[in-house]
Amino acid sequence: MASRPNVGGWLMGKTIKKGGGATTSAHPTRSSTPQVQSTSTTVFGGGVKDPSGRISEYSSMDDQCPVCKSDRYLNPKLRLLVSACYHKMCESCIDRLFTLGPAPCPICQRTLRKLAFTPQTFEDLTVEKEVAVRRRIAKEFNKRRDDFPDLRAYNDYLQEVEDLTFNLINDIDVPQTEARIAQYRAENAALIELNIQREEQYAQALKEQEEYERQEKEQRAAEARREQEEAREERERERRQIIDRLETSNKDAATVIAKTRAETQKKSSARAAVAPFRSNSQLLRSRAAQSSTVPDVPHVPLQDDWDAYEGMYTLRDNYDDPPSEAVRRDREGIMRAGGYRVEEAWERALRCAVAGLEMAPLTSVAGDSDMDKLREVQDLPTPA
Amino acid sequence: MATNGNATDASPTEKKEDQPKKPLYESSTQCKNWRYSPEMLADVRASMNEAAVAAIRNAFEADEPGSSASVSFLNAQDEQLLVKLYLSKIPQLCGHFRFPEEVEATAMTYLKRFYLRNTVMDWHPKNVMLTALFLATKTTNNPISLEAYAGHIPKTQPSDVLDLEFLVAQSLGFEFTVWHTHRALWGVWLDLQSLDIGPDLRPPDIYEAALNHVRTSRLTDAELIYTPSQIALGCLAMTSPILAQQWMESKAALAKNTHPTMYEILAQTNEEVRVLLEQTGQLPEVETVREVDRRLKLCKNPEKVVGSKAYLAKQAEDEHKAQQRRAKKAEQVRRAAESNDPFGNDIDEKQKEALAGDLDDDDD
Repeated sequence: MASRPNVGGWLMGKTIKKGGGATTSAHPTRSSTPQVQSTSTTVFGGGVKDPSGRISEYSSMDDQCPVCKSDRYLNPKLRLLVSACYHKMCESCIDRLFTLGPAPCPICQRTLRKLAFTPQTFEDLTVEKEVAVRRRIAKEFNKRRDDFPDLRAYNDYLQEVEDLTFNLINDIDVPQTEARIAQYRAENAALIELNIQREEQYAQALKEQEEYERQEKEQRAAEARREQEEAREERERERRQIIDRLETSNKDAATVIAKTRAETQKKSSARAAVAPFRSNSQLLRSRAAQSSTVPDVPHVPLQDDWDAYEGMYTLRDNYDDPPSEAVRRDREGIMRAGGYRVEEAWERALRCAVAGLEMAPLTSVAGDSDMDKLREVQDLPTPA
Repeated sequence: MATNGNATDASPTEKKEDQPKKPLYESSTQCKNWRYSPEMLADVRASMNEAAVAAIRNAFEADEPGSSASVSFLNAQDEQLLVKLYLSKIPQLCGHFRFPEEVEATAMTYLKRFYLRNTVMDWHPKNVMLTALFLATKTTNNPISLEAYAGHIPKTQPSDVLDLEFLVAQSLGFEFTVWHTHRALWGVWLDLQSLDIGPDLRPPDIYEAALNHVRTSRLTDAELIYTPSQIALGCLAMTSPILAQQWMESKAALAKNTHPTMYEILAQTNEEVRVLLEQTGQLPEVETVREVDRRLKLCKNPEKVVGSKAYLAKQAEDEHKAQQRRAKKAEQVRRAAESNDPFGNDIDEKQKEALAGDLDDDDD
């Protein structure tokens, strides 16, 4: 339940399209749904968008317009749209009935307007209705958990929202419900507005971040391309230089080639050292520093009341230590592959050297209880 | 983790302010369960030997009345001799397998601890030694396959090693971690470099000699009486009293607030360790041990010799007990199945009283 407010953005049709805000026109998705062939000149809005911003329209081979009874067999371009009262009609019927202005629905007689027709997304029209109702409710009932003093109040609020939604979906006490919604709207106008703004800010932030990532990627790709190009040029130049030198000098060909190669090598390695290198992790870190997150509390691994003798020894950086010589001289780190650190081994040895120094050896015969314990232990059952 | 000079000076005073911390070594099972005084060790061994002799005598009598009179049982010292001989076999085996020193030291500790809770007359150290060594390879993360292990030891089957493994682990109380003396000696040797001593004053042959003393100490009871650091220091003191003295003084100076008597304790343990090693650090004479082993053949616990009457009797008794347990359980199941209500019938007053009486001692 608590995650519901986050879903609001999706329900309200404010799905953020990946790749930035290129879609700002009123009906951004018409061009991206070419599979639906419209016979009408009217552009119908609405419908439920999927996360990529497209409206997938439902249609089947058994479609039949309930008004004019024409079906897909007779009219392959048949497109059924849904009215505000959730009745289906084909585009030609809509054009015929509603072009001259508002008219009653041929099925339920409710007054309908042409622009209130929407494409059908779900096969089941009750789902279609539910999505629409929820989208409408979510637009106004957008309070968050932090708008409430305690969880109980928030849960009560969510329960009430769910009641209202259920009433609207199932047409129970519609006028009463509408009155309650209106009352809520009047009471909470300021908060609703604030939360809308917050949602928008969040969406904006997401969008900006995506945009930033995209730019970064492009930049890196361009950088890589440029480097490749440079390397190619370098090779070309080297080749030409070798030919020039072979022409002009009278030294051995092999030495001339080797010398030129070495020079180029030096140059290119110098350039590589200079080139600004920003790894991905660095970028991430710099971005994390920019964002205003709560600073991380340093992690304290263990807090107990045992003394590991830290006061009794001082670990030096280096020791003259023949047993660990091989590990320290191992340049490839093969012996340290498992995370072995000779400092850890040294520290363990030092700790072992000072542990228990202060314990006087036991002298007397143990008390009765100790001896009892010993006897008990000796009477261990032997395994069969 | 590494402390600098300031922290070293400051920490004792800091600790005084809040709850004083307990030294880490006192949390080890080695300190809690395997620390004895010499008298306690002797007492434990004597009482265990006594109990074992009594039990075996009973078994002999049950086998054949009057047969125990002529048997000369081993005493605690005899047992010790035998264990010591097999302790000395462990370094030889480890050399053959090229196990690291840690395995060797751990196996020897296990063997010694095992015979603080078991007697030689029940379990012959020859077999226990093999099992202890195999267990030590596993607990110190130097594993070797059982086949390879048993294959390199003459007249040994994998089952000989495995059969005792649980018994050994159980006798050790599953306390496999050991604080080792050779590591403590290494630490002392490293820490000597923090003192103001030139490298020419601490030649490596001193370390080697001290390490040899540490190896000798494994044949003795030293690790059951003293802490590893004390033994290591004692071994160093035997080879280079001057170095040991300097190191002791520096440590005692660091601990003067928390443990003012440390220097005296260490001086005493150094002396005791030296005496202990000189008196008991030698291998037993083979002839003596052979004689003990010959007697052991006659006084072995007959309940553990396959095929003897006592063994069969013990088997029969165990079987009888198991049978009784099974019957009891079957009876319970049957009774539960017979009662009509699967959720139990109503309890009437008489049963209730009986139940209330039963509740406190109904542990099984």
